[in-house]
Amino acid sequence: MEEKELTPQESMELIQSMIGKARRRYSDNSFFFLLWGWIVIIASLGHFYLSTFTDFEYPFIGWSLTIVGAIISGVVGAKRGKKSQVKNYTDEMYGWLWFSLGMAMFTIVFNGQQIGWNTVPFILLLAGVGTAVSGAMMGFKPLKIGALVFWILAFVAFRQPENYQMLIMAVGIAIGYLMPGYIMKANFRKHGV
Amino acid sequence: MGFNQLDPLLHSQLRLAVMSLLISVETADFVYIKEQTESTAGNLSVQLDKLSTAGYIEITKQFEGKKPKTTCKVTQKGVDAFDNYVKEIQQYLKP
Repeated sequence: MEEKELTPQESMELIQSMIGKARRRYSDNSFFFLLWGWIVIIASLGHFYLSTFTDFEYPFIGWSLTIVGAIISGVVGAKRGKKSQVKNYTDEMYGWLWFSLGMAMFTIVFNGQQIGWNTVPFILLLAGVGTAVSGAMMGFKPLKIGALVFWILAFVAFRQPENYQMLIMAVGIAIGYLMPGYIMKANFRKHGV
Repeated sequence: MGFNQLDPLLHSQLRLAVMSLLISVETADFVYIKEQTESTAGNLSVQLDKLSTAGYIEITKQFEGKKPKTTCKVTQKGVDAFDNYVKEIQQYLKP
Protein backbone atom coordinates (compact mmCIF):
# COMPACT_ATOMS: atom_id res chain seq x y z
CA MET A 1 0.00 0.00 0.00
CA GLU A 2 1.57 3.27 -1.11
CA GLU A 3 1.26 6.60 0.63
CA LYS A 4 -0.56 9.30 -1.27
CA GLU A 5 -2.83 12.20 -0.55
CA LEU A 6 -6.35 10.88 -0.02
CA THR A 7 -9.50 12.58 -1.21
CA PRO A 8 -12.53 12.27 1.12
CA GLN A 9 -14.09 9.89 -1.39
CA GLU A 10 -10.99 7.67 -1.36
CA SER A 11 -10.89 7.78 2.44
CA MET A 12 -14.47 6.56 2.64
CA GLU A 13 -13.87 3.79 0.13
CA LEU A 14 -10.75 2.66 1.98
CA ILE A 15 -12.62 2.54 5.29
CA GLN A 16 -15.47 0.56 3.75
CA SER A 17 -13.15 -1.90 2.04
CA MET A 18 -11.11 -2.58 5.20
CA ILE A 19 -14.19 -2.99 7.38
CA GLY A 20 -15.58 -5.34 4.73
CA LYS A 21 -12.40 -7.43 4.80
CA ALA A 22 -12.59 -7.82 8.57
CA ARG A 23 -16.31 -8.57 8.56
CA ARG A 24 -16.17 -11.24 5.92
CA ARG A 25 -13.90 -13.31 8.07
CA TYR A 26 -15.34 -15.75 10.51
CA SER A 27 -13.75 -18.82 11.92
CA ASP A 28 -14.28 -22.27 10.46
CA ASN A 29 -16.08 -23.99 13.31
CA SER A 30 -17.12 -27.01 11.28
CA PHE A 31 -14.73 -29.22 13.26
CA PHE A 32 -16.86 -28.84 16.41
CA PHE A 33 -20.16 -29.48 14.64
CA LEU A 34 -18.75 -32.63 13.03
CA LEU A 35 -17.11 -33.87 16.24
CA TRP A 36 -20.27 -33.44 18.32
CA GLY A 37 -22.52 -34.56 15.49
CA TRP A 38 -20.81 -37.92 15.22
CA ILE A 39 -20.46 -38.41 18.98
CA VAL A 40 -24.18 -37.81 19.55
CA ILE A 41 -25.24 -39.98 16.58
CA ILE A 42 -23.12 -42.93 17.76
CA ALA A 43 -24.30 -42.53 21.36
CA SER A 44 -28.00 -42.12 20.56
CA LEU A 45 -28.20 -44.90 17.96
CA GLY A 46 -26.24 -47.18 20.33
CA HIS A 47 -28.63 -46.25 23.13
CA PHE A 48 -31.66 -47.01 20.92
CA TYR A 49 -30.24 -50.36 19.78
CA LEU A 50 -29.13 -51.54 23.23
CA SER A 51 -32.35 -50.54 24.99
CA THR A 52 -34.69 -51.89 22.27
CA PHE A 53 -33.02 -55.12 21.15
CA THR A 54 -30.83 -56.24 24.08
CA ASP A 55 -31.04 -56.64 27.85
CA PHE A 56 -27.78 -54.76 28.33
CA GLU A 57 -27.87 -53.05 31.70
CA TYR A 58 -26.19 -49.81 30.61
CA PRO A 59 -27.67 -48.80 27.22
CA PHE A 60 -26.46 -45.23 27.81
CA ILE A 61 -22.81 -46.35 27.81
CA GLY A 62 -22.14 -44.55 24.50
CA TRP A 63 -22.79 -41.19 26.12
CA SER A 64 -19.47 -41.47 27.95
CA LEU A 65 -18.00 -40.38 24.59
CA THR A 66 -19.23 -36.88 25.45
CA ILE A 67 -16.49 -36.64 28.09
CA VAL A 68 -13.90 -37.33 25.38
CA GLY A 69 -15.66 -34.77 23.18
CA ALA A 70 -15.56 -32.13 25.91
CA ILE A 71 -11.82 -32.66 26.44
CA ILE A 72 -11.06 -32.57 22.68
CA SER A 73 -13.21 -29.42 22.26
CA GLY A 74 -11.44 -27.69 25.13
CA VAL A 75 -7.94 -28.52 23.87
CA VAL A 76 -8.64 -27.74 20.19
CA GLY A 77 -10.52 -24.54 21.10
CA ALA A 78 -7.68 -23.25 23.28
CA LYS A 79 -5.05 -24.14 20.65
CA ARG A 80 -6.97 -22.37 17.89
CA GLY A 81 -7.48 -19.30 20.06
CA LYS A 82 -3.73 -19.04 20.63
CA LYS A 83 -2.87 -19.61 17.00
CA SER A 84 -5.42 -17.33 15.36
CA GLN A 85 -4.12 -14.09 13.88
CA VAL A 86 -7.25 -12.12 14.56
CA LYS A 87 -9.84 -12.21 17.28
CA ASN A 88 -13.35 -11.07 16.44
CA TYR A 89 -15.82 -9.86 19.02
CA THR A 90 -18.06 -12.75 18.01
CA ASP A 91 -15.38 -15.38 18.78
CA GLU A 92 -15.69 -14.89 22.52
CA MET A 93 -19.50 -14.72 22.40
CA TYR A 94 -19.53 -17.89 20.34
CA GLY A 95 -17.35 -19.71 22.88
CA TRP A 96 -19.50 -18.61 25.80
CA LEU A 97 -22.72 -19.52 23.99
CA TRP A 98 -21.67 -23.14 23.47
CA PHE A 99 -20.01 -23.43 26.87
CA SER A 100 -23.26 -22.28 28.56
CA LEU A 101 -25.34 -24.63 26.46
CA GLY A 102 -22.96 -27.47 27.29
CA MET A 103 -23.34 -26.74 31.00
CA ALA A 104 -27.15 -26.63 30.66
CA MET A 105 -27.22 -29.92 28.73
CA PHE A 106 -24.91 -31.57 31.26
CA THR A 107 -27.15 -30.40 34.12
CA ILE A 108 -30.24 -31.83 32.43
CA VAL A 109 -28.63 -35.20 31.65
CA PHE A 110 -26.98 -35.46 35.09
CA ASN A 111 -30.35 -34.89 36.76
CA GLY A 112 -32.25 -36.95 34.17
CA GLN A 113 -33.74 -39.27 36.78
CA GLN A 114 -35.70 -36.32 38.25
CA ILE A 115 -37.59 -35.93 34.97
CA GLY A 116 -38.06 -39.63 34.23
CA TRP A 117 -35.10 -39.62 31.75
CA ASN A 118 -37.08 -37.44 29.35
CA THR A 119 -33.95 -35.49 28.60
CA VAL A 120 -33.93 -35.54 24.79
CA PRO A 121 -36.59 -32.86 24.10
CA PHE A 122 -34.73 -30.42 26.36
CA ILE A 123 -31.38 -31.19 24.75
CA LEU A 124 -32.94 -30.67 21.31
CA LEU A 125 -34.33 -27.30 22.39
CA LEU A 126 -30.93 -26.16 23.68
CA ALA A 127 -29.16 -27.42 20.55
CA GLY A 128 -31.69 -25.38 18.56
CA VAL A 129 -30.76 -22.23 20.49
CA GLY A 130 -27.07 -22.86 19.78
CA THR A 131 -27.48 -23.46 16.06
CA ALA A 132 -29.93 -20.55 15.62
CA VAL A 133 -27.65 -18.02 17.32
CA SER A 134 -24.50 -19.40 15.65
CA GLY A 135 -26.28 -19.26 12.29
CA ALA A 136 -27.29 -15.65 12.89
CA MET A 137 -23.75 -14.66 13.97
CA MET A 138 -22.21 -16.17 10.85
CA GLY A 139 -25.06 -15.35 8.51
CA PHE A 140 -25.17 -19.06 7.71
CA LYS A 141 -28.58 -20.36 6.65
CA PRO A 142 -28.10 -24.16 7.05
CA LEU A 143 -27.64 -23.66 10.81
CA LYS A 144 -30.82 -21.60 11.06
CA ILE A 145 -32.74 -24.31 9.20
CA GLY A 146 -31.16 -26.88 11.54
CA ALA A 147 -32.50 -24.91 14.51
CA LEU A 148 -36.02 -25.04 13.11
CA VAL A 149 -35.72 -28.82 12.70
CA PHE A 150 -34.51 -29.15 16.32
CA TRP A 151 -37.58 -27.29 17.61
CA ILE A 152 -40.02 -29.34 15.55
CA LEU A 153 -38.37 -32.59 16.67
CA ALA A 154 -38.48 -31.45 20.31
CA PHE A 155 -42.28 -31.20 19.95
CA VAL A 156 -42.41 -34.76 18.64
CA ALA A 157 -39.89 -36.09 21.19
CA PHE A 158 -42.01 -34.91 24.14
CA ARG A 159 -44.63 -37.44 22.98
CA GLN A 160 -42.34 -40.46 22.52
CA PRO A 161 -40.86 -43.08 24.88
CA GLU A 162 -37.19 -42.81 25.80
CA ASN A 163 -35.77 -45.25 23.22
CA TYR A 164 -37.59 -43.56 20.30
CA GLN A 165 -36.45 -40.20 21.60
CA MET A 166 -32.94 -41.46 20.84
CA LEU A 167 -33.82 -42.00 17.18
CA ILE A 168 -35.29 -38.49 17.02
CA MET A 169 -32.09 -37.17 18.55
CA ALA A 170 -30.00 -38.89 15.85
CA VAL A 171 -32.18 -37.40 13.08
CA GLY A 172 -32.00 -33.93 14.66
CA ILE A 173 -28.22 -34.00 14.99
CA ALA A 174 -27.77 -35.27 11.43
CA ILE A 175 -29.79 -32.30 10.07
CA GLY A 176 -28.86 -29.68 12.67
CA TYR A 177 -25.13 -30.32 13.20
CA LEU A 178 -23.70 -32.68 10.58
CA MET A 179 -25.27 -31.24 7.44
CA PRO A 180 -24.41 -27.59 8.26
CA GLY A 181 -20.98 -28.78 9.48
CA TYR A 182 -20.15 -30.45 6.16
CA ILE A 183 -21.50 -27.50 4.14
CA MET A 184 -19.40 -25.11 6.27
CA LYS A 185 -16.30 -27.25 5.76
CA ALA A 186 -16.85 -27.38 1.99
CA ASN A 187 -17.37 -23.58 1.86
CA PHE A 188 -14.12 -22.92 3.68
CA ARG A 189 -12.26 -25.30 1.44
CA LYS A 190 -13.70 -23.67 -1.67
CA HIS A 191 -13.61 -19.98 -0.77
CA GLY A 192 -11.43 -19.84 2.34
CA VAL A 193 -14.20 -17.92 4.09
CA MET B 1 -10.47 21.67 -1.00
CA GLY B 2 -8.52 21.95 2.25
CA PHE B 3 -8.24 19.14 4.77
CA ASN B 4 -7.11 21.23 7.68
CA GLN B 5 -9.62 19.88 10.15
CA LEU B 6 -8.92 16.26 9.31
CA ASP B 7 -6.85 14.38 11.88
CA PRO B 8 -3.42 14.07 10.19
CA LEU B 9 -2.76 10.83 12.04
CA LEU B 10 -5.74 9.20 10.37
CA HIS B 11 -5.62 11.01 7.05
CA SER B 12 -2.93 8.74 5.69
CA GLN B 13 -3.63 5.70 3.59
CA LEU B 14 -1.93 2.99 5.61
CA ARG B 15 -2.80 4.34 9.06
CA LEU B 16 -6.43 4.76 8.03
CA ALA B 17 -6.48 1.21 6.65
CA VAL B 18 -5.03 -0.13 9.92
CA MET B 19 -7.55 1.78 12.02
CA SER B 20 -10.50 0.67 9.86
CA LEU B 21 -9.38 -2.92 10.24
CA LEU B 22 -8.80 -2.72 13.99
CA ILE B 23 -12.11 -0.97 14.60
CA SER B 24 -13.92 -4.06 13.29
CA VAL B 25 -12.13 -6.71 15.35
CA GLU B 26 -11.18 -7.22 18.99
CA THR B 27 -7.47 -7.81 18.40
CA ALA B 28 -5.39 -8.49 15.31
CA ASP B 29 -1.86 -9.63 14.93
CA PHE B 30 0.89 -7.91 12.94
CA VAL B 31 0.97 -10.55 10.21
CA TYR B 32 -2.79 -10.32 9.67
CA ILE B 33 -2.70 -6.50 9.44
CA LYS B 34 0.25 -6.67 7.05
CA GLU B 35 -1.59 -9.12 4.78
CA GLN B 36 -4.89 -7.25 4.79
CA THR B 37 -3.36 -3.82 4.19
CA GLU B 38 -0.86 -5.21 1.65
CA SER B 39 1.93 -3.21 3.27
CA THR B 40 5.60 -3.88 3.96
CA ALA B 41 6.70 -4.89 7.47
CA GLY B 42 8.98 -1.87 7.80
CA ASN B 43 6.39 0.73 6.80
CA LEU B 44 3.65 -0.93 8.85
CA SER B 45 5.91 -1.00 11.90
CA VAL B 46 6.55 2.76 11.64
CA GLN B 47 2.85 3.58 11.18
CA LEU B 48 1.78 1.33 14.08
CA ASP B 49 4.30 3.10 16.32
CA LYS B 50 2.83 6.48 15.37
CA LEU B 51 -0.71 5.29 16.15
CA SER B 52 0.47 3.79 19.42
CA THR B 53 2.35 6.96 20.46
CA ALA B 54 -0.85 8.94 19.82
CA GLY B 55 -2.70 6.51 22.10
CA TYR B 56 -5.01 5.33 19.28
CA ILE B 57 -3.94 1.69 19.54
CA GLU B 58 -2.35 -0.59 22.10
CA ILE B 59 0.47 -2.85 21.00
CA THR B 60 1.29 -6.00 22.94
CA LYS B 61 4.49 -7.86 22.19
CA GLN B 62 4.89 -11.38 23.44
CA PHE B 63 6.58 -14.60 22.50
CA GLU B 64 4.79 -17.67 21.23
CA GLY B 65 7.44 -20.32 21.71
CA LYS B 66 10.44 -18.65 20.09
CA LYS B 67 8.43 -16.57 17.63
CA PRO B 68 7.59 -12.98 18.56
CA LYS B 69 3.91 -12.12 18.28
CA THR B 70 2.71 -8.53 18.06
CA THR B 71 -0.97 -7.95 18.76
CA CYS B 72 -2.80 -4.66 18.20
CA LYS B 73 -6.02 -3.40 19.70
CA VAL B 74 -7.78 -0.09 19.17
CA THR B 75 -8.23 2.08 22.30
CA GLN B 76 -11.26 4.18 23.25
CA LYS B 77 -9.28 7.27 22.25
CA GLY B 78 -8.70 5.65 18.87
CA VAL B 79 -12.39 4.81 18.46
CA ASP B 80 -13.35 8.43 19.24
CA ALA B 81 -10.75 9.82 16.84
CA PHE B 82 -11.92 7.44 14.10
CA ASP B 83 -15.52 8.46 14.74
CA ASN B 84 -14.66 12.14 14.41
CA TYR B 85 -12.66 11.51 11.27
CA VAL B 86 -15.57 9.68 9.63
CA LYS B 87 -17.97 12.49 10.59
CA GLU B 88 -15.66 15.11 9.07
CA ILE B 89 -15.22 13.08 5.90
CA GLN B 90 -18.99 12.82 5.65
CA GLN B 91 -19.21 16.62 5.86
CA TYR B 92 -16.91 16.90 2.84
CA LEU B 93 -18.94 14.36 0.91
CA LYS B 94 -22.28 16.05 1.53
CA PRO B 95 -23.72 17.28 -1.76
